Amino acid sequence: MRFWGMFRFTFGEAIRKGTLIFYFSVATIIILFFGFALGHPADDPNMISMFGKPFAPQQSSGFNIAEMILIQLHSSSVFWIILFGIFGVAGLVPSMLEKGTIDLFMSKPLHRAEILLARSLGATAGIAANLFYFFVGIWLVFGIKLGVWHWAFLSSSLYVVFAFACLFSVVAIAGLTTRSSGFSILLTIVYLFIASLLEGREHFLFRLSDNTIYHNIINGLYYITPQISGMLNNSSRIIGNNPMSPVEFTILPFVYSLGSTALLYGLASWYFMKKDF
Amino acid sequence: MTLLHFNIHGYCHGIKLKYFQIEPPDIFAYLESIMEAIQTQELTKQYRIGRFTKKNILALNKVSLDVHQGEIFGLLGPNGAGKTTFIKLLLSIAFPTSGSATVLGHQLGERALKEEIGYLPESHRYPSFLNAFDTLLFFGRLNGLPEQVLRERAATLLDRVGLSEWKKVKTKKFSKGMLQRLGLAQALINDPKIIFLDEPTDGVDPVGRKEIRDMLFGLKNEGKTIFLNSHLLSEVEAISDRVAILNKGEVIKVGTIEEINSQKIVYAIQLSAHLPLELEEKFKSSLPSVVLSENLLTVTLNDKSELNSVIDALRNANIAIEGMTQQKTSLEDYFIQLVKGDAQ
Repeated sequence: MRFWGMFRFTFGEAIRKGTLIFYFSVATIIILFFGFALGHPADDPNMISMFGKPFAPQQSSGFNIAEMILIQLHSSSVFWIILFGIFGVAGLVPSMLEKGTIDLFMSKPLHRAEILLARSLGATAGIAANLFYFFVGIWLVFGIKLGVWHWAFLSSSLYVVFAFACLFSVVAIAGLTTRSSGFSILLTIVYLFIASLLEGREHFLFRLSDNTIYHNIINGLYYITPQISGMLNNSSRIIGNNPMSPVEFTILPFVYSLGSTALLYGLASWYFMKKDF
Repeated sequence: MTLLHFNIHGYCHGIKLKYFQIEPPDIFAYLESIMEAIQTQELTKQYRIGRFTKKNILALNKVSLDVHQGEIFGLLGPNGAGKTTFIKLLLSIAFPTSGSATVLGHQLGERALKEEIGYLPESHRYPSFLNAFDTLLFFGRLNGLPEQVLRERAATLLDRVGLSEWKKVKTKKFSKGMLQRLGLAQALINDPKIIFLDEPTDGVDPVGRKEIRDMLFGLKNEGKTIFLNSHLLSEVEAISDRVAILNKGEVIKVGTIEEINSQKIVYAIQLSAHLPLELEEKFKSSLPSVVLSENLLTVTLNDKSELNSVIDALRNANIAIEGMTQQKTSLEDYFIQLVKGDAQ
């Protein structure tokens, strides 16, 4: 009840954030665009049309064009979703720590770790609601207009939500230690940059030095931090094979990230529990 | 009927307890009733200044206080005296460096304790996107109250603090005084046994202050303990049963308003002739303070019996008394003297 109360409140606060309202509006425009644009020409059900004009055959060179559009939509949208997400909810942890707010929360019969967890899950749920709105909307448009009921596309949204929940552990630690929304956003974006370097470490970081210890440190960092880039890349691979990047889906980044996220939330909770306000 | 027999040797509220028998269900109620609402032993808090320095500041120094159940207890002190820190330690918003405390018999930080307390912080912030009613629902949910009970209580409390007509208005449109009233309702949402109020009348107009004072008296009559932090001395004087004065992190005085106000009895005596030097020296050696201005003698007495000695001495010296008035020392006067180190 208490945890649910805090979760519900944070969710309400998150979805009212201006950034997420803007994201919601953009998502609506994209859904409506595809809703009006996509279809089949009346004389050729195997052809996909855009605004009534033939665009491409549904099956081409062994690839499903609708599926490829979905993969492209997914890959290009998740970056913005994560970015909007960070800007939208990164302030939820520092705002909780403001004088007058934290005093009230702390005086209630909730464990400090419960407050932090409810806050983190509430923020993630706020992002998830927006994200599901976009994915379900697109999924319905492709299903209704093209007859493509792509369940893998729909399920890929769960992986993106999971990736965001992992990223929020970084946001939470940054927010708790800096108590500033701005710094929290900045540190999280820096982390995203580092995470993408770690993900492609073989192409860049390993080439900087042949030292084995250096390689081990880089590998260690890669495994003990949430693998955001790996998870986001893999979340689009579940939709189908991208002919431009034919790599198979793997669950490993999600498994590793689960551990590292638990570790980061553990650290954040420990810091939060011993802190004077 | 099973009776429990106790042999207790000791004192409770000045009454020697030796033997009593009591029915089992009542023992808990009895023990609860004789328990202090707040008991602190040498509670100390040191804060580190800055993140990277080792410099510490002593916010509270060995504060030992007892607050009885059902009383309104006022904690007074200048800015930075440690009043808010004291409350924060009791509510586990900050942790003590040393010392111990119990509130309603619970150790600090226990969930069961937080279920029994209400708190109005000094600079409280309420979610601007919620209306008054939803704000109370939110904080009530954090207290774990069932939804139906919560809705009824929220409506009753808004009515009690005079905000029932504003229940559907977002709190961002509220004035400071209205937010204080809402804060008070929030502090009462879980029907607490003890209520901590940090500057409850801050920003409230005189009529609102009177209403809040009346409400606090009402809560006291319901048996609730009220712990009040305030810098408005006249307000504390008007409603508190007992007060403590905190300065630089240390308790320098505890007592009832009467006890504190009667610490020093000051009389201004108009004499018919100039006071002889030897008599002035005699008064100065035996009384806390003697001020002579022309034929006006102002004496500060430890107790009223000393007044007779002063009068006798004056008459023995053949000095007639033309007039005499007792000068009232307000809590404010006493507080200022005490904080400045003038009073002992």
